[in-house]
Amino acid sequence: MEKTLNNKTKLVLSIAAIALLLILVYVGDNTIPANSSWKMLITVIEKGSIFALVAASMNLLNGFTGLFSLGQAGFMLIGAYTYAIFTIPGKSHEAVYQYFDGGLIQWSIVEILEGKLGVFGHYIGMFIPMIGAGLLVAVVAALIGIPVLRLKSDYLAIATLGFAEILRAFFQWNSLGPITNGSNVLRKYTTYGNAIFPVLVSGICIAIIVLLINSTYGRAFRAIRDDEIAAEAMGINLFKHKEMSFVISSFFAGISGALLAMFQTTINAMPFNTVMTYEILLIVVIGGIGSITGSILGAFLFISTSEWLLRGLDAGKWLGISSNLMRPGFRKVVFAIIIMLIVLFYAQGIMGSREFSWDSFINWWKNLPANLKAWPAKRKAKSTAKKEARARKAAAKAKAKEAKAEGEAKRASGEALFTPLPTSDEVMVFGKEGK
Amino acid sequence: MAKQDNREVVLRLSDITMQFGGVVAVDNLNLEVHKNEIVGLIGPNGAGKTTAFNCITGVYEPTNGAVEINGNVVIENYPQGKMKDEYAGKNQGKYTKALTMLPDKVTKLGVARTFQNIRLFKGMTVLENVMVAMHMNQSESVFGATFRSKKAREEEKVMKEEALELLKKLDLYDNRDDMSTSLPYGKQRHLEIARALATHPSILLLDEPAAGMNPQESDDLMRFIGRIRDEFDLSILMIEHHMQVIMGICEHIYVLNYGGQIADGTPAEIQANPAVIEAYLGGDE
Amino acid sequence: MGFIQTWLPYILAGVAVGGQYALIAIGYTMVYGILRLINFAHGDVFMWSGLIMVYLITILPLWLSVILVIIFAIVLGTTIEKVAYRPLRSAPRMSIMISAIGVSYLLQNFALYITGGLTKTYPTIGWLQRTVSIGSATTKMVTLVTPVLTIVLVFLLVMLIKHTKIGMAMRAVSRDFETSSLMGIDIDRVITVTFVIGCALAAIGSILYFSNYTGIQPMSGAMPGLKAFVAAVFGGIGSVPGAVVGAFVIGVAENLIKGIGWTNFSDAFTFVLLIIILMVKPTGLFGEKNIDKV
Repeated sequence: MEKTLNNKTKLVLSIAAIALLLILVYVGDNTIPANSSWKMLITVIEKGSIFALVAASMNLLNGFTGLFSLGQAGFMLIGAYTYAIFTIPGKSHEAVYQYFDGGLIQWSIVEILEGKLGVFGHYIGMFIPMIGAGLLVAVVAALIGIPVLRLKSDYLAIATLGFAEILRAFFQWNSLGPITNGSNVLRKYTTYGNAIFPVLVSGICIAIIVLLINSTYGRAFRAIRDDEIAAEAMGINLFKHKEMSFVISSFFAGISGALLAMFQTTINAMPFNTVMTYEILLIVVIGGIGSITGSILGAFLFISTSEWLLRGLDAGKWLGISSNLMRPGFRKVVFAIIIMLIVLFYAQGIMGSREFSWDSFINWWKNLPANLKAWPAKRKAKSTAKKEARARKAAAKAKAKEAKAEGEAKRASGEALFTPLPTSDEVMVFGKEGK
Repeated sequence: MAKQDNREVVLRLSDITMQFGGVVAVDNLNLEVHKNEIVGLIGPNGAGKTTAFNCITGVYEPTNGAVEINGNVVIENYPQGKMKDEYAGKNQGKYTKALTMLPDKVTKLGVARTFQNIRLFKGMTVLENVMVAMHMNQSESVFGATFRSKKAREEEKVMKEEALELLKKLDLYDNRDDMSTSLPYGKQRHLEIARALATHPSILLLDEPAAGMNPQESDDLMRFIGRIRDEFDLSILMIEHHMQVIMGICEHIYVLNYGGQIADGTPAEIQANPAVIEAYLGGDE
Repeated sequence: MGFIQTWLPYILAGVAVGGQYALIAIGYTMVYGILRLINFAHGDVFMWSGLIMVYLITILPLWLSVILVIIFAIVLGTTIEKVAYRPLRSAPRMSIMISAIGVSYLLQNFALYITGGLTKTYPTIGWLQRTVSIGSATTKMVTLVTPVLTIVLVFLLVMLIKHTKIGMAMRAVSRDFETSSLMGIDIDRVITVTFVIGCALAAIGSILYFSNYTGIQPMSGAMPGLKAFVAAVFGGIGSVPGAVVGAFVIGVAENLIKGIGWTNFSDAFTFVLLIIILMVKPTGLFGEKNIDKV
């Protein structure tokens, strides 16, 4: 049953699948009319791929290096602004920076290169500020990392979160207005023409992350995640590798910020707040911490439900049900509750720490009918097992209570002072779950 | 005290003292390991043996004293700051330098260790566990490694071959693709040693390698340790509770009790030493 | 004289806001001390206490509202602990932090839903809003009440921790979680008490804080929460007096920076302070060095 494909077949399959996907996206974006409700699908694909990238970058840190960082929104903010500032065409500056006399920078990289190299220059002009955005974010991350990464990872969480919050204030600072446009939106910068662009860029970036994870450095990252002390004893310089992971992760967060700027066509610092970071983290959790496949699935699931499938919850009608409860904001509440349920009862997420492979996919597909058939029986077995476990637990609890009561009675009567400690695992307060 | 040995000293602890708050965990430990020697460090629970290991490997900064590896002093410290007044050990003022070294640097100097409570990388296979230990000798940059440059591919290939070779020698080859945590206990201990050997050490520190083993298994382990000493040209310092192992394999033994060094000598000397017998059996107080 | 005249209002305001941060910071530092958990939801409990006050005051008299707000915060905080943290106690530490973030996300979104995203006006509590003048400076009563009330509450708390049985249990648990559970200390009870104290103080803090700032919206808890946590780190995480000192330092410094005219950077200062303290003395002012056992 466990048939494995040879590498060549896998490569062909992968290339075919990717090509098919890209063609579908390209054709889809070109042919679906703007007023069709299916246009939403394209939006989900664009935004989903951008969030897949930022989730993968966060997973590199949280899931593969064991560092708890919460700066993703802040890094995206820097990336988005860097990209936008350098691609606003010269003639639009007057309108965009209307409160700042047309701003400080009067040119656009895209325009300059387009004038020299034509269409090719246009794209190069988009890539340069995009990569630049990533590099700037990487430098900023490196500077934060130097003091913070030498310490316990808890401090990293709070330092990055604080940093991201302060960045928002910084970018809205009036004195920086000629560059950042203060608290006004940046707009009219160059964006992409077809949804294939963010899908392609995110895809390449995620592929690089996967390559990194599977390299010898990725192995070192995972060693640090599993056991810092042992990793150090194996000659791995903790700080150097943590800093490396942090900087690389931030670079890709910067790129995804630039892509988000393009997707939104206008940007403002306001929405890059803690909620955004939390959402990215929750995408990672839904997908499975330690699985890039999971992050991608999680991103598309999150974006499609929140942007599309659950929209009705805000509008008052969803799946034919209408209720007074359904008013703006209800969707997010339902969402938050679902996420809490996942965190508490399904901590593995969709993928756990597994990754996609053709072999497992084909096997899964082949075994699907059999598994579906066996599902009710399996469920039943599971529920009985659960019931039994519960009964056992209750019995143990009752026993412990009895023992305690007995002990107290003895103590009251001044009999034996030493009652043996209960030995059952289930009554221990801080015992690890026994298997 | 003075032992006759003409081989060069590869590891020397001088007056190593480790004080946590008011507790002196290791008190003035002096110890030497010669080339290709197997040295035992024994003592009752809480005697400070593992703490001594942590001082050698850079996990802790000793409060006072120095560590010399292959003839160079690499760690040295003296009581500073608040410790100046609280210091309860000996030889205050003898050391004046503050040299610290992070554990990864110590490993790079050729000192590898295993852990008392097995610390394998849980999310990785057996092979990966060993390959991680070879990462530090890799010279390709992260950029090259990510994009699989020719050098990176070559290094990876060499690393994998060497790791498999090592696994074969340590009888773990058949488990190479198993998750490290799925191994039986004895094999996990073997893997810890394999991982330490993968860092190309000249000195190996073993922290209770025979813990939890039955007499037959510890017998095997004893032979195994002797074998790797010869095969990998190692000098070994080991902590162990199994007297059978210690007495059977060590050329020289140091005994700690309550942090202090109460005796050292050949196995025969130690067995006859009244202080050691008292520490282990408890004198009448 | 001129110097005092110029700076006194800022210092007073700083001391007041410092006291408010202190009341929040205690919740962070105590929970971290015992569970090693950054309770990301604490700032949102603080925000919700403020929000509930807005709704309660419309139907109930002031004194009853105040009591109910404190009770509400306690119930909310202990429920969060019971539902979202307790089941994960033996899970990896990252899971429990993620759970805390999930709770924070839920509380913020729920507030957004209830308020419709509008900024609510905090009720004026007459007595706290009365204007008083000290020397040449005029200020609101709340500015004077806050530091005094904070110090009294902290004094009571320190007494509780030092001299009662439950206080002793708390100290034991924060020193060594597993050993104290083996020694027969009822860990669950200690944790519940910790959350009760932390949340009650946050509720009192919210009354004082929002009386000063009047506007309240779903994100109102984030920034004070963050600053309070930095205060806790500054003072040495796990130490109650440390958190209070840290909070006063942050409050005063922040207002002095506003006084110079760099209002935009008053928030950034908190972050800079965090980085500096982490570089110079990661254990904080009163923190003890923790040595991990290998």
